[in-house]
Amino acid sequence: MPAKNKGGNSKAKEPEQARQPPEQPQTVREFEWQRYWSTNPIHKIVEEQGFPSLSPADKRTYLNLELARSPGEVEKLSKKGQRELWKQLSEANVPLRSAPRPRGNQWGHDKDGRDIGDYTLEEYAVYEQKKSRLSELRLQSDFFKRNRERAHCKTKNVITGETYTINEADIKAEKERRKEMGTLQSELYGKKPNPYAENPEWDDVVPIPQDEPEGALAAIAYAEDYAEAMAYLRAVIAVKEHTPRCLQLTEHIIDMNPAHYTVWLYRFDIVKALGIPIADELEWLNEVSLEHLKNYQIWHHRQLLMDLYYPTLQSDEGAVKALALDEHSFLTDILDKDTKNYHVWSYRQYLVRKLGLWDSDDEINSIELMISHDVRNNSAWSHRFFLVFGNPAQSTPNSHATEHDPKVPADIIDREISYAQDKIGLAPQNQSPWNYLRGVLVKGGRPLGAVREFAETFVLHLGEGEEKEEVRSSHALDLLADIYKEAGEKEKADLSLRRLGEKWDRIREGYWAYRRRMLEVKED
Amino acid sequence: MARSPPAGEPHQVPLVPDLFTTAPPIKDSLVTTTSIAQNSVEDDCKAFLAGTQENIPVNAHGVPSLSRERHIRFLEKNLGNLPPAFRVADASRPWIFYWCLNGLALLGADVSRYREDLVETARSIQNESGGFGGGFGQQSHLATTYAMVLALAIVGGESAYQVIDRRAMWKWLCTLKEPDGGFRLTLGGEIDLPLDLPPDSPSYTPQRPDLFSGLADHVRRCQTFEGGISARPGAEAHGAYAFCALGCLAILDAPHRIFPRYLSMPRLISWLSSRQYAPEGGLSGRTNKLVDGCYSHWVGGCWPLIEAAIHGPAIMTSIESPSFHADDLYSREGLIRYILCCGQDQTKRGGMRDKPYKPSDAYHTCYVLNGLSSAQHISRILSSDGDGIMGSWTYEILPHLDEAQVYNEEDRAGILKGVDPPPAAYQAIHVNAPSQYKHTRSVRAVLQPLTELDSERDLTDRSHVGA
Repeated sequence: MPAKNKGGNSKAKEPEQARQPPEQPQTVREFEWQRYWSTNPIHKIVEEQGFPSLSPADKRTYLNLELARSPGEVEKLSKKGQRELWKQLSEANVPLRSAPRPRGNQWGHDKDGRDIGDYTLEEYAVYEQKKSRLSELRLQSDFFKRNRERAHCKTKNVITGETYTINEADIKAEKERRKEMGTLQSELYGKKPNPYAENPEWDDVVPIPQDEPEGALAAIAYAEDYAEAMAYLRAVIAVKEHTPRCLQLTEHIIDMNPAHYTVWLYRFDIVKALGIPIADELEWLNEVSLEHLKNYQIWHHRQLLMDLYYPTLQSDEGAVKALALDEHSFLTDILDKDTKNYHVWSYRQYLVRKLGLWDSDDEINSIELMISHDVRNNSAWSHRFFLVFGNPAQSTPNSHATEHDPKVPADIIDREISYAQDKIGLAPQNQSPWNYLRGVLVKGGRPLGAVREFAETFVLHLGEGEEKEEVRSSHALDLLADIYKEAGEKEKADLSLRRLGEKWDRIREGYWAYRRRMLEVKED
Repeated sequence: MARSPPAGEPHQVPLVPDLFTTAPPIKDSLVTTTSIAQNSVEDDCKAFLAGTQENIPVNAHGVPSLSRERHIRFLEKNLGNLPPAFRVADASRPWIFYWCLNGLALLGADVSRYREDLVETARSIQNESGGFGGGFGQQSHLATTYAMVLALAIVGGESAYQVIDRRAMWKWLCTLKEPDGGFRLTLGGEIDLPLDLPPDSPSYTPQRPDLFSGLADHVRRCQTFEGGISARPGAEAHGAYAFCALGCLAILDAPHRIFPRYLSMPRLISWLSSRQYAPEGGLSGRTNKLVDGCYSHWVGGCWPLIEAAIHGPAIMTSIESPSFHADDLYSREGLIRYILCCGQDQTKRGGMRDKPYKPSDAYHTCYVLNGLSSAQHISRILSSDGDGIMGSWTYEILPHLDEAQVYNEEDRAGILKGVDPPPAAYQAIHVNAPSQYKHTRSVRAVLQPLTELDSERDLTDRSHVGA
């Protein structure tokens, strides 16, 4: 509203500047102040120069204005007084009504913390335009929701008599609308988009926000997007909804927090309920697995999928082979990146059992390849033991890992002994093949003495003085102690253990001493 | 007795045995990924073990003091409000409670002030169908339930015990039981080695299957050819599972009776002993893997149980703390050196860690301190009356005194005091249980017999599992 100051007729003597046309305002704040002063020219003089500097006429006008603007005061005057007041004011030709006096904080701050009062007029126009656009969209969105409700209840339009309907185009338009609303809210208020609240497909879900007591320990300040997604997750889990939109929701949350076991279990239920092709799910899972190498839930999910999938193709030998091949190549990729990942190896064992891969060349060869890449990879050694001694064709089911299994053929025992010995030759201080060797001997029911000569090649001149004594493997010495004990050569056993504690493996001195004491005790 | 000069006194040449400052006597020349990683960790550790790091004051033995105050602050911070990046821990908050509270208790801080907040937090994440999830609105999980119960036991007090809906938890546990003797971790979840379980079953009789049926056999099937214990039959031996397995057996019966019945002891002890490396002094979790501070607990915590199994019940006559040095199966000195020299974050941040140059976190702070406490104390079974899970026995925990104590006496970590048993709980609650035992014994203290529970219904509940 432009200042309603016709000006010119006042007889009052006024400073020039007060009557000068104001400069073009640069900001919203300046604009508002100009507007205020333009409706209060005399007040401006009073504030800038004090009341006494007014001309007598302006003094009168000022006081008249104060009176006229005070609610209820004019009515207290006599009729005559009132007439005189309005007459004088009319002659003074000043705006009777004042524009609101700007307050310092009246515009507020925008999302970046900038005072909106400092906006240029152009900026402000854009800002106001966005705000009104947002209100308009909200209104339309409310219409949409109302109509959808009506359509749901099959209400008839009282004017046209037609039943309300919501079609694809309406939903599409609403999606566009919500998207625009989200953008506007973000631009205006810096509010992060709430993809679920803004998606009409989720309108029927009442989110369950995190409800934590005051003073909750280790409370996490969730980012808005995570908190929103979790609130919707709780709501759909609570009603056991298994729909495609929920599948997407789980994907979103897993992407943010793959350690969230509840989401994974829920996702599996959805996959099952919707009959999602397992191959599709596995493809998605492969990507997630490569991103989150250390995550456990991924592997459990994979296992559940296999449990579901395998029976459907069990009778189709070709399909099982193809699956085994896919899985094998994926596991090879993963183990290439993280060679000792416990979860991956556990899954691999599960897979061997499930698909019966005991005699698979792929399986055996890839383990040999891994051992040849890093002969110290104990996980690979452990898997080899599992393959050889867990194979139901050549072992007793549930035979304990530390006991003799008479069903394992002797040639296999021989083969494994020489495999371990070969690998020991590469790096004798590597404990993995020594443990393996001992494990094989136990499985085969062979005396430890069967490898006495082999072990002795790593230990020369034991106890013959620091100069002469040569030990290339403390593990050989450890095994020899048991071999000597087994053979009743207690002194040699004792010497081996003593030298281990004194020199070759001092950190385990207490253990070697214990073993020496145990020489006196019959083996349990 | 301890020779402990004041921390920070300058020493030109700290007395560090060459075992901890030089390469092991046998090194293969073959280079593989494993050996490269191993050599690099050895080098990092040697630098810290030598006691010559700048800005880290050490005593005459080259060992820095335990930065109690900084570690306390670190843990307290972890119990406070956490930034959004912690959302990855959203499904394991009870673990944070346990790690922090246990660490604080071992450092001698007052944890009872967290009681009411913990109780309220626990209430908000307990499920009506029994057990605790990782947070509000999350499915119950055996691991988070275990952590929650431990945390409640540590703060103690009637309100902490009462918040647990034991009847619902019992039923839920029954639904997790697998026919092979193991347990699922959660419904729809994986079969895994059992974590420590409540031992007190009113429905238990030797003739009738219950939560414990097949459990020890399952553990037995998890012992591997290496002698260690794996997560499931056929997998690789791993320190964390060794602790869980031994803990589980130790609940079922006293170690000296039950361990030899189900496990090959010589192989187990050999494997456990192989976990300690020099020069690092610390413990690893698997063959040919690197040392990591957390195995101070998982592997280090096995030793008191193994020692209890070897020695059996002792007749306590002396009040004095004997030196068991001669009987130690592992190098306490090595482990303590690793923990104090390599395991502490020496910056303002505080907290304890996996190994040098790794960031500290609540998990490692808890388990490294458990390991420290265990290395600084001895434990033995005092008496043992009766067999099986209904039997009762008492452990005694005393400071381990060593002629060659390398740490300052004021750096002895605490032990978990016995949890005040709620009324009607079993009588045989330990004297001063150490950190290791608290896992088993305090659970026992908290779970009273559910006498009101209909045992027939128990069986019905369980029958769902096998289907």
